[in-house]
Amino acid sequence: MSALRLALAGCIAAFVLAGCKAGSGGFEIKNVDFTNVVNSAKNLREVKEPEEIQIGQGMTETLLGARPLLDDPELQRYVNDIGVWVALQSDRPNLPWHFGVNDSDYINAFATPGGFIIVTKGMMKQLRNEAELAGVLGHEIAHVNQKHHLKALRTTALVNLLGEGVSASTDSKHAQLVKALSGPTKDLYARGLDKSDEFEADRIGVIFATRAGYDPYGLPAVLTTLASADPKDSYLALLYKTHPLPQARLDKLAPGLTTLDSIKAPQNAARFQQYTKKLRVAAQ
Amino acid sequence: MKAVPLKILLGMVLTLLIPAAYAAETGYTYKATDLKDNPFIDATTVATLPEKTNVEILTRQGAWMQIKTPDARQQGWVRMLSVKLGSQDQKPQSSGSLLSALGVGSRSKPATNSTVTTGVRGFSEEDLAKAKPNPAEVEKMKGFSVTKEEAAKLAESGKLAAIPLPYFDENGKPLKEKK
Repeated sequence: MSALRLALAGCIAAFVLAGCKAGSGGFEIKNVDFTNVVNSAKNLREVKEPEEIQIGQGMTETLLGARPLLDDPELQRYVNDIGVWVALQSDRPNLPWHFGVNDSDYINAFATPGGFIIVTKGMMKQLRNEAELAGVLGHEIAHVNQKHHLKALRTTALVNLLGEGVSASTDSKHAQLVKALSGPTKDLYARGLDKSDEFEADRIGVIFATRAGYDPYGLPAVLTTLASADPKDSYLALLYKTHPLPQARLDKLAPGLTTLDSIKAPQNAARFQQYTKKLRVAAQ
Repeated sequence: MKAVPLKILLGMVLTLLIPAAYAAETGYTYKATDLKDNPFIDATTVATLPEKTNVEILTRQGAWMQIKTPDARQQGWVRMLSVKLGSQDQKPQSSGSLLSALGVGSRSKPATNSTVTTGVRGFSEEDLAKAKPNPAEVEKMKGFSVTKEEAAKLAESGKLAAIPLPYFDENGKPLKEKK
């Protein structure tokens, strides 16, 4: 953004607060902290894709710091296969998509910008088939597609950091970024996104999974499972705190979902049961 | 001691052999709903199940669930969105074993209350608050990455065929533009 446009933007913002008048040497602004105006103008710039990936990786470092990955390479690769296949149906097929199952009994799934997606072991155990997994992954891929988390973060000072060259791929700069991201990441994933973002991710997630050739009712089936749970259950506490109630999500999804009723597509239950066999044995 | 008829004995043995994973899921209609003879909208309606009819879920297909009533008098297909899972007489399920409580894969260890017990691997708000960034785990995660071609191969072996489909809005109307 040119200096003049910045000054103009500042002037427009400042006008409301303090008035703005043209003097002989340009703009004279009274009673305004100009630095803040410049910073907000900076914050509104588009985050470039490499920066988005860098941010997402930093956030994922914190999420995996809370619980590491599950030690099951076969399952991890399988979830990546399904995830990438569903992500190929999105508007961002060329992102470096990464999927992982973490070793948590809690029921949840997370996405960070740039294509990092984590599903908990607890969630995996609630699924009946691949269509349901594709539905859950589709919902998370939709968050990345729509840049929901990135937009939620943009109100913070993070983009300023990027502006100062933190996106440069040196280790110390990256560590600096991760440190700066850690607090906002914890806040965001404890607080959750806007409910409207979650409803949108349901609508888009169903489309991605269905485009991928799955039974469209995978995600709705998961939501009916979750709707049968005790909302006060600690395993679901964070999911319930950060998402609308499952029944509300089903109700919102219904008008679009029913337009897909004529589609007859596989659920791939046998393959899913095979790859997740260890999860059920381990729970004995 | 009276001998148990062979048929009954055989039945008992067979019941024991059926894996728990194939036990029926249960639910109930939460609104009056049509029972169809096939899983599509213009299939013949064989009955209308009143609200709060208990059902056993046999299978799912698209928008439909194949169900039977516990007395096995009625069997057919109802819309998935007309059925709530679990029992209407009991408290909601504890999520540590949602599916097992619903009758699926009931080998999972049941969680009997909402207290987090020792040994539970959490991802609670507290765990998140305490988290220290773990770059090594992200590198490990990247190590499991697959190529587009590998993903497409697994899709093909799963008989998944990609189809074009527009997004839809809140009212279910198709959207022409990209999101």
